[in-house]
Amino acid sequence: MTDSKIPYTRMDVCNRSLETVKHSRNLGMEVLSAEEEGVRVRLPWREDLVGNPDTGVLHGGAIFAMMDQAGGMANSCRLYPNFEITPTIDFRVDHLHAPTPGKAVVCHASCYRLTDHVTFVRLTTWEEGKEDGEPVATGLATYTRMKIDKNGRVVS
Amino acid sequence: MTESLKALIEACRQGQADYQDLVDRVPYARFLGIELRVQGEELTFILPKNPENIGNPTLPALHGGAVAGFMEQAAIIFILLEMGEPKVPKTIDFTIDYLRAGLFRDTYAECRITRLGRRIANVHISAWQKRREEPITIARAHFLLSEENN
Repeated sequence: MTDSKIPYTRMDVCNRSLETVKHSRNLGMEVLSAEEEGVRVRLPWREDLVGNPDTGVLHGGAIFAMMDQAGGMANSCRLYPNFEITPTIDFRVDHLHAPTPGKAVVCHASCYRLTDHVTFVRLTTWEEGKEDGEPVATGLATYTRMKIDKNGRVVS
Repeated sequence: MTESLKALIEACRQGQADYQDLVDRVPYARFLGIELRVQGEELTFILPKNPENIGNPTLPALHGGAVAGFMEQAAIIFILLEMGEPKVPKTIDFTIDYLRAGLFRDTYAECRITRLGRRIANVHISAWQKRREEPITIARAHFLLSEENN
């Protein structure tokens, strides 16, 4: 099957998942690119996502939520054109340094290994505009694969 | 600013302020809608069921990231209350196991400090919905308490 015959792109798949996942939409997440090797996702700096009111730094939890979602999209990109649900098994995030208050962050997530039942994902997050420099956070995650039928029911 | 946080914690202990104020000063905690229940000196953190925190609309299930953020924030407040000189702990790392789907209902979390050092805190966090013995997620996290070289 060549990509040109599929009526939707990886970008479409990622945007559709953002549309349906209310919490990620609430976070203000945006998909920047979606390729087989991975996705790039943006999380804006917003006052209501701040973790420490004295410093204005984004909450680690907001960065985590964005990265978990990005990992799911990396799975979708790897599984494309098939659809599967991929619940998170395990997720670790290391906060290497605090992003500058007021600055958005960008995450690159890549599914580097796909087995019959499990996906392995690596993630790196930078401050926007500093994607060539030191990351603010790195992540490592595993997800389980649940195949679904046309009606969205889990089949295996 | 740190002084005002210290004063607030002292006021909570004296019963002159509500522990909920500690949660509400954090914008992201308000974004998630985190609540705090205090029984004596025991804290239970609550993430009330909220359609804004849904990740899977079909089940429906909570967003794993919302549950993780809730647990991280619970740990931060828990540590704050254990510190002699309270200063907002910085998350070094956070590792979570998803054991069951977080259904669209209230979620509770409790924290256990494995070790509280001068510089680092090791914390275990557990979240459940139906029964404490059936956690939906467990997490292990490390926090930086002080950046002073002493």
